[in-house]
Amino acid sequence: MSSRKSSLVLALPLLALTLLQLSLPKGAHAIPAFSRQFKTECSTCHTIYPELNEFGDAFLKNGYVYPGKPGEAVQPADKKEGKIEGLWLSGLPELLPVSFTGTLDVAYNNDAFDGNKVDLSTRSLRLQAGGAFRDVAGFFLTYNLYSQGTQTSATASSSPASNANTPPSNSPDIYEMYAIWRHAFGTPINFRIGRMEPKLSLWKKSNRVILTPSYASTAYTVGSSFSQGSTPFSLDAPEDALEVNAVLGNRVFLAGGVVDRNGQKNKDGYGHISVKLGGTDFLGHEPEIDLESDSVWDYLSLTLGGFGYAGSNGKFNDRGVAQFKNEFYRAGAEADLLYKRFHLKGSGAFGRDDNPTFSSTAPTPIDSKAYAVEGEYMFGAPVNLITLFRYEYQKDLNGRTRRYIPAVSYAPLQNTKVSLEYIFTDAPSGIQRLTLASLAISF
Amino acid sequence: MKKLLITLLLVSLSATAAHAGLKVIGKGDNMRLDPSNFPPQMKANYEIVRVRCVKCHTLERTIVAVQTGVAPISGQPFDRNATKAYGVKMLRKPDSNMSKPEVKASVELLNYLLSEAER
Repeated sequence: MSSRKSSLVLALPLLALTLLQLSLPKGAHAIPAFSRQFKTECSTCHTIYPELNEFGDAFLKNGYVYPGKPGEAVQPADKKEGKIEGLWLSGLPELLPVSFTGTLDVAYNNDAFDGNKVDLSTRSLRLQAGGAFRDVAGFFLTYNLYSQGTQTSATASSSPASNANTPPSNSPDIYEMYAIWRHAFGTPINFRIGRMEPKLSLWKKSNRVILTPSYASTAYTVGSSFSQGSTPFSLDAPEDALEVNAVLGNRVFLAGGVVDRNGQKNKDGYGHISVKLGGTDFLGHEPEIDLESDSVWDYLSLTLGGFGYAGSNGKFNDRGVAQFKNEFYRAGAEADLLYKRFHLKGSGAFGRDDNPTFSSTAPTPIDSKAYAVEGEYMFGAPVNLITLFRYEYQKDLNGRTRRYIPAVSYAPLQNTKVSLEYIFTDAPSGIQRLTLASLAISF
Repeated sequence: MKKLLITLLLVSLSATAAHAGLKVIGKGDNMRLDPSNFPPQMKANYEIVRVRCVKCHTLERTIVAVQTGVAPISGQPFDRNATKAYGVKMLRKPDSNMSKPEVKASVELLNYLLSEAER
């Protein structure tokens, strides 16, 4: 009997050990939202933050759900495995999907109107949140917690005055906040609603190594913020919109939407199409490559895009109703070429405004255009240094402007970036030279 | 009772030795494979993986994927199709600095490791 007892004493721990080993999860599983949620490094989706790589672009198009394996949809039961059931049933992410980006800027402007050539006064703190609820719905939020100075605004780099020691007041605002209904009714169609950058360009405004927005395709303005009565409309400004988009055949992306502009009943409309040749497809699948022989498509990918936008805006009266309307359209084409460490972005856009100054008496239509070429070369493993040069041209209400921007961006850590850019602007108002250094930290 | 004990012991051992084909040394960031029992070609391939892959991520990520059959980040199956896809991904990654022969060797090694892990 005592022998049986001692055997039982030995048996119980062994049984417990066995059951424990058999019940332990077999491995980590992806959890919602970005680096912290997926326990992966920034370079999974970025070259140097915030510029996206091919996989990051697929993640974005997939509504912030980690792109899966071709032809093998994960069953809901599998998705649940390894997660806290209550949170999963509630559709809640296991980690609060929030991050912050702080930037500190230093500008050197030899022509500062007040003689203060070195400006240390600009800084910002931005909150970002994003992710997916049980892979059914995605969401994204960018909230400007604090900003002072306008060096990262659309007009800053071409405007010495706004980069001098005259920081505007802190004005917290929701830059983007939208929800995505992914794969509605089991189709490839996604619905996106909220405040967002309309999907027009191949690249989101933030999808750049340097944050000086490019005139082309979407950041160019017909009016000027310094012209009384005109509005510096740009296509990449966040709008209140409803968008439908879909990836078709893995390599075609279509998007179209309507924009609800304040103070008027007419809606703006837009559309986008892009096609990708070679490289990772829009769903994150790697291309078929023969490891036994060489082909130029082993490393080459080319994405071509086109878009159109038509709408109207106006000058608000004291009741907030738009008047002296300006009907306008924009159309553009873009190309993105990636070959090993070389990345080339080309874009061009043109448009027409029939009353860009909101004149009540003598509307003067204007045709405008802008184009840009930007070449990048990446260094490091993982990439921690990018040099780039951008040339851009804009013709609008104010005349012709050419801009030359050599820049370098260095990321000693993947979440920390130091960038230096020199912006030479040849504008109707004269030559402007601005040197901008920026430190950005995301956490 | 002795039979029960022996049975439990065997079951317990089989549970811990599910990947007996792979000898793993160290933990976490220092996790490595012991290639002493690898065929000569796989030993050479392992040297490529050991040197190249750890430039961007730990070997733990690879070993866990092989052991579990699940890619630890994506949660997707890690099988022979996946090894090829990951090889292509690394080949095309601008910063991987991996040549095609190196990627081919790495994929062969991963497939070999998957076979060993299944034994």
